[in-house]
Amino acid sequence: MKRPRLLRWRAIVPLGVVIALLGLVWWLLLDRIVELGIEETGAVLVGARVDLESADVRLRDGTVALRGLQVANPNAPMQNLFEAEEIVADVRWRPLLEQKVVVDTVAVRGLQFGTAREESGALEHPHPQGGLVAREVSAWAEAARVPQFRLEALGQVLDIGAVDPDSLRTLGEARALAARADEVRATWDQALAALDPQPHIDSARALAQRLEETDLGGLNVLRGARLAGEVQRTLSDLRTVAEAVEALSLTAQASLVDLQGGLDGLVAARQADYAYAIGLLELPSLDTPDVSPAFFGDAAIAWVEPVLYWLRLAEQHLPPGLDPRRYRGPDRPRRAGTTVEFPDATSDPRFLLEYGELGLELGGEGVAAGAYLAQVTGLTSDPALYGKPLELVVQRTGAAVGPSDVAVRALLDHVEAPIVDSLAVRLAGIALPSLDLGGLGARLVMGRGTTDLRLARTGDALSATWSWHAPQANWERLPRTGSEEPGTEAAPIGMRERIDGLVWRTVSGLRDVRIEVGLSGAVQQPALSVRSNVGEAIAGSLRRELGREVASAERRVRAEVDALLSDELGRARRSVNGLEAQYRREIEATLAALDAVREQLERELPGGLRIP
Amino acid sequence: MLTLLKLFQSFVRALHSDGTPQQVAAGVALGAALGLTPLMSLHNLLIVALIFLLRVSVPGAILGWLIMLPVGFLLDPLFDAMGSALLINAGGLQPVWTAIYNTPVLSLSKVNNTVVLGSVVGWVALAFPIYFLARIGVRGYRATLGPRIERSRVVRAVRTTKLYNFYRMFQP
Repeated sequence: MKRPRLLRWRAIVPLGVVIALLGLVWWLLLDRIVELGIEETGAVLVGARVDLESADVRLRDGTVALRGLQVANPNAPMQNLFEAEEIVADVRWRPLLEQKVVVDTVAVRGLQFGTAREESGALEHPHPQGGLVAREVSAWAEAARVPQFRLEALGQVLDIGAVDPDSLRTLGEARALAARADEVRATWDQALAALDPQPHIDSARALAQRLEETDLGGLNVLRGARLAGEVQRTLSDLRTVAEAVEALSLTAQASLVDLQGGLDGLVAARQADYAYAIGLLELPSLDTPDVSPAFFGDAAIAWVEPVLYWLRLAEQHLPPGLDPRRYRGPDRPRRAGTTVEFPDATSDPRFLLEYGELGLELGGEGVAAGAYLAQVTGLTSDPALYGKPLELVVQRTGAAVGPSDVAVRALLDHVEAPIVDSLAVRLAGIALPSLDLGGLGARLVMGRGTTDLRLARTGDALSATWSWHAPQANWERLPRTGSEEPGTEAAPIGMRERIDGLVWRTVSGLRDVRIEVGLSGAVQQPALSVRSNVGEAIAGSLRRELGREVASAERRVRAEVDALLSDELGRARRSVNGLEAQYRREIEATLAALDAVREQLERELPGGLRIP
Repeated sequence: MLTLLKLFQSFVRALHSDGTPQQVAAGVALGAALGLTPLMSLHNLLIVALIFLLRVSVPGAILGWLIMLPVGFLLDPLFDAMGSALLINAGGLQPVWTAIYNTPVLSLSKVNNTVVLGSVVGWVALAFPIYFLARIGVRGYRATLGPRIERSRVVRAVRTTKLYNFYRMFQP
């Protein structure tokens, strides 16, 4: 039988033609493939739509030109995080065979931040991991938000009914304490009943009485020895009972200490309830550190949110070290699985931009409106392979509105753990934003001024200060809505008109405004602090004018809380104090009786009858 | 419906083609790779080239692909686990994966994905059992059932109908 040949030689040419055709189709569609790749990968990274007008890939020249790139803001889908008119990159072709992108130089033209979109940038089916950083930063911002300072609270009627007794911590703790005291009492009663020391005491007393009445000298040896034995047995019995009562006494003392601790805890709980009740009434705290966040907290969060976002994004996508990295696999009909990357010390990074020039245009009359040139070196997904930190320098190229002095320098050293980031931004002579301080019924027009950001991060620890200085600020009154008009309710704390006038007089005289925003702690959940001379001035004025009235309102709230708590607090105190009295009456008295009768027996027993 | 018809045609053609049972079985085993592993992978380009270059049954390969396609979906959790065990948990293999990941062209094979790697390993493990089972099946069919079906009145009657002509229009 003829053995069939292994190869279909005639198929080689058609197969070659098919492969060549596939190559041709790929080459013809390369621009579209790159376009789709950038849009899909970008959407996964950002968590919002990434749109690209066109891509032009020139393999022979090793250049890629992208036009009309728009990256939507995941938190504001009708706004772009940024958009770029044109990006031209010189790409090395060999790393592409390893699915790596090494860009020697890139030039970005017409980069703008925060531009409006014509259609929503929200994704219909967002990638589960996409936009994770944006969501986390938004969650932090929500948690960090400080309630606005409300002058209305100063003029409102004190509504103690708003305090729900069930939400007072002290009530729950007082009830629990009283119940615990009852349990301890029941345990003592049970233990004392089981010991039942009284018959032992009575019996010993009777023996002591008999000894006292007996002429011991007239006893013969046998009776004397019997009596001595009886006395020793009774003494031994008394010692046993006394030891048991002492053990009970130790337990009882520990319980009493615990219950007394509970009583002390009620004092702290009551303080917390005062704060809670006062907080419900939204009486403004006039402590200086609390007033500034209430005025500028929202603005401060809006300022620092993008900084935190980009910082976290850099942390996520520029990790240190060479350990294998895991990502969710590509979306496809089959299961996505996990894609693992294995960086090698001798190979190229997955992504590297050696040098980039970015022409930034910040539009409008905002904080940093103007034209800039940003130079970035060493932007890589594998800093450990590149071996040098990322450096970003921004300088001004001229603008009608922009700042007169710009100094931006960022250094992100992710070569090895812990990562070290530093950012220094100084913009002088810029148009600072105007802030509506609705709570005060005023707008702060900061005018031209200086902003200075200093940020340092080592590992997870973040420390940043962002100061704003407006030497020639102006104030404008905001129109009051009807609901905000001062009412004629009874018992207002101060008169609203008086407060309005006071605040307006205070702030309208302030020309030199300084705001300082601080971030400290873990980069995932940094603590936000805001200080300003505006807050200090207002707090000072209010303290002078209204301090007594606010203090009086707080006293009334405390009195009302005390009234709500008094029954349960009294019951808890009575239970604990009663238990202490019971301890003295029953346990200490029993121990004393046992001691007394033991001493009496030993006293009555003459030396001749003692048994060694 | 069309897919089912094509599956049926592949089945019939594979069983009745001139190829030897070994050629049909080899075609089924190679085609199984297309069904068991994610289709858009570099190794499947190689598999397709092999199907056309080697003298294996192309209808058999199509049959193997179509049969194993749903099996691949069903076994994905298992492939994922196998891939995870090899890529993530087997620390000793890390130098191998690092070398593959950083080698031009090889890195395009996407074997650094747990499902791709697990399914490729799964196919390699199943290729020979699939080959032997397919060979036994084709031999058995041709020796016993095939001739009887060919001679049956029903088949002869069907071949004279317009429906059969329609069916032939969709032959691969």
